[in-house]
Amino acid sequence: MKLTGGVGAAGLTGLAGCSATNDSGSGDSGSSGPYEIGMVDAVTGSLSAFGQRNQRGKDLALAAVNEVGVSGQDLNIIVEDSGSESSGGVSAAQKLVNQDGVPFMIGTVGSGVSLSIYESVVQGTDVVQLSQNSTGLGLTDFPGLLRMSPTGRTQSTALANIIADDGYDTVALTYVNNNYGSSLADAFVNAWDGDIAYNNPHDQDQSSYSGVISEMNSSEADAWLFITYQAEFATMVNEIFSSGYEPQLYGADSVSGDNVIENTPDGSMEGMKIAVPSAPVEQENYQNFVSTFESEYDESPTVWSAYAYDCVITAALSIQAAEEFSGAALGEVVRDVTRPEGEEVTSYQAAHDILADGGGPSDVDYQGVSGPIDLNENGDPVGFLQIQEVQDHSYEQIGFIES
Amino acid sequence: MVLDLLASGLVYSSIIVLGSIGLSLVYSIANFANFAHGDTMTVGAYAALVTFGAVGGLGGTVLGLPYGFFLALGVGIGMAALVAVVTEKVIYEGMDIGSIGLLITSIGIAFIYRAIIQMGFGADFTRYDIPAMRPIDALVTYGIRVTLQDVAIVASATVLVVGLHLLLQYTDLGRKMRAMADNPDLARVSGIRTDRVKLWTWIIGAGLAGAGGVFLGLFSRLTPRMGFDLLLIIFAAVILGGIGSVYGAMLGGVLIGMTTQLTPVLSELGTVLPLVPDTWGIPIGIEYANAIAFVIMVAVLLVRPSGIAGEAV
Repeated sequence: MKLTGGVGAAGLTGLAGCSATNDSGSGDSGSSGPYEIGMVDAVTGSLSAFGQRNQRGKDLALAAVNEVGVSGQDLNIIVEDSGSESSGGVSAAQKLVNQDGVPFMIGTVGSGVSLSIYESVVQGTDVVQLSQNSTGLGLTDFPGLLRMSPTGRTQSTALANIIADDGYDTVALTYVNNNYGSSLADAFVNAWDGDIAYNNPHDQDQSSYSGVISEMNSSEADAWLFITYQAEFATMVNEIFSSGYEPQLYGADSVSGDNVIENTPDGSMEGMKIAVPSAPVEQENYQNFVSTFESEYDESPTVWSAYAYDCVITAALSIQAAEEFSGAALGEVVRDVTRPEGEEVTSYQAAHDILADGGGPSDVDYQGVSGPIDLNENGDPVGFLQIQEVQDHSYEQIGFIES
Repeated sequence: MVLDLLASGLVYSSIIVLGSIGLSLVYSIANFANFAHGDTMTVGAYAALVTFGAVGGLGGTVLGLPYGFFLALGVGIGMAALVAVVTEKVIYEGMDIGSIGLLITSIGIAFIYRAIIQMGFGADFTRYDIPAMRPIDALVTYGIRVTLQDVAIVASATVLVVGLHLLLQYTDLGRKMRAMADNPDLARVSGIRTDRVKLWTWIIGAGLAGAGGVFLGLFSRLTPRMGFDLLLIIFAAVILGGIGSVYGAMLGGVLIGMTTQLTPVLSELGTVLPLVPDTWGIPIGIEYANAIAFVIMVAVLLVRPSGIAGEAV
């Protein structure tokens, strides 16, 4: 009860902050004062590697937006550091919402931190929260908490489709005995139409997995799916190899890695397929993003920068499309500018032009540099995944899948 | 499937036996439960990794393992023994805090070993650079899927265990060790240099642990946590066999190793046992293998409080 009370109070102050911005916003409408939104980022702390990539993605996006302008004005982003912790994230968000009165907040990296911010600052207010990098499955249960990075669940759905497309109707599944493994395994079981001949967890850090492998073999399924970590998977592959079994292997992205390739015999994983979250590396807008990023920072971007980039573009398009600069108005249009019916556009400039010519939010379907986005009612984007196949004992990209 | 599981149980048991003998030996003579024993195994495994990386295969192979690996095994055994002796001399020997204090100290020592290994090699896993093998064809027809390397692990462990048996039964040192385990004070007054015997006990116990670690790395993988992750199981084996008893530790190691590896059979008992329907079985997943091993340990201890081969209290 106490917690609920606290959230309510935060909500009230949040609303107060919003209306203050509205006033100043309408007062400023004639001038060219910039639109201000907030960003909570893991600039320091354990997730700072993500945070720094996010900052680069954000800076590039902001440059692209301000070259064109938003409703004739500039966009300004106030960045606050979460320190990669829930407490830091919540106070950063409180500062942005209550003092700066931002109606739109990008944030943040860790799923737990994003959720804390949502529950103690954003929930019950009109403020729009769009997480740039959180992939936890639990966020789907909070429709008001939007995110740019797809939920881990999309991998399970993708794997179910890949295995079915390969012509298998029976699968043997083993997953690591923790929240990650069991949630992905549950999602797979829901998405899979065929038989599941074996479905059992295994513990992490065990010295021997010969029991698992032996049971998977006696299930007589030809397709074996692994949702586990690299060390466990490498041990299992060695066990499969030294037992002389030759199943078709499938795996979640957590089983792929150079350390797995180095520590398994040549040919032991031939033909294995893995679904890995990915940017649409073949699309022109992503390639442009990469070349801009490389010329600016002298290194290649990761998909995590691309998510931050798309957060900023989505925010700018929402401001352009909304009737007024308030949380309620932005919340109404933020999903529509990213999803179908509208014209597919791949740059801020093109999307901006449609809106500036009198188009509504549903006339635009922004295709991000991180994927098609298409935010749904739960606030989740469409998952864009790369399918990798092990060929000659290395990972080769063989296609993409949307789920 | 049962034969196959029995075979892999034998390989796994060999490793646990090597670990449990050393733990039991040190307990019987130094009189404390050495929690750094698991990490002593890790020391052996990484010493072998470095040696094998440096010397390479050295030409030929025996039982699927290059000559260089056996040299690395020797270095692993030696390094584990050396580290244990240095620890005993520098830390345990001068410490006058009773067996509980030594036990807590040894947990600290375990963390120190692991931290040093992690600093040198990182937390990621690795394997020896030895080509993996396919199962032996002749045995596959019986449903047994073991490689020559698995045979090498069992054979080497057998050699070491038989060697220890001969040493304990037929050498002067062995007799002194047994005398000291039975009654250290009596051993001292009868003129046995107990300090020297104690040192040899550390060397033998840690050396066997080092060998167990090397084989564990070959059997699954090397990580800085590998030994510590196996330690609880090794303790179960030692306590089941009767703490302080070397032969009990061997028996306990085999029982615990077999139990964990044979867990898949439980859910299909009907197909194995006569007189019961094929579909009959105990529906329990393999993620509970270690728990089952401990249930058996507790059950045995309820009947025989000092373990299978332990002396009545």
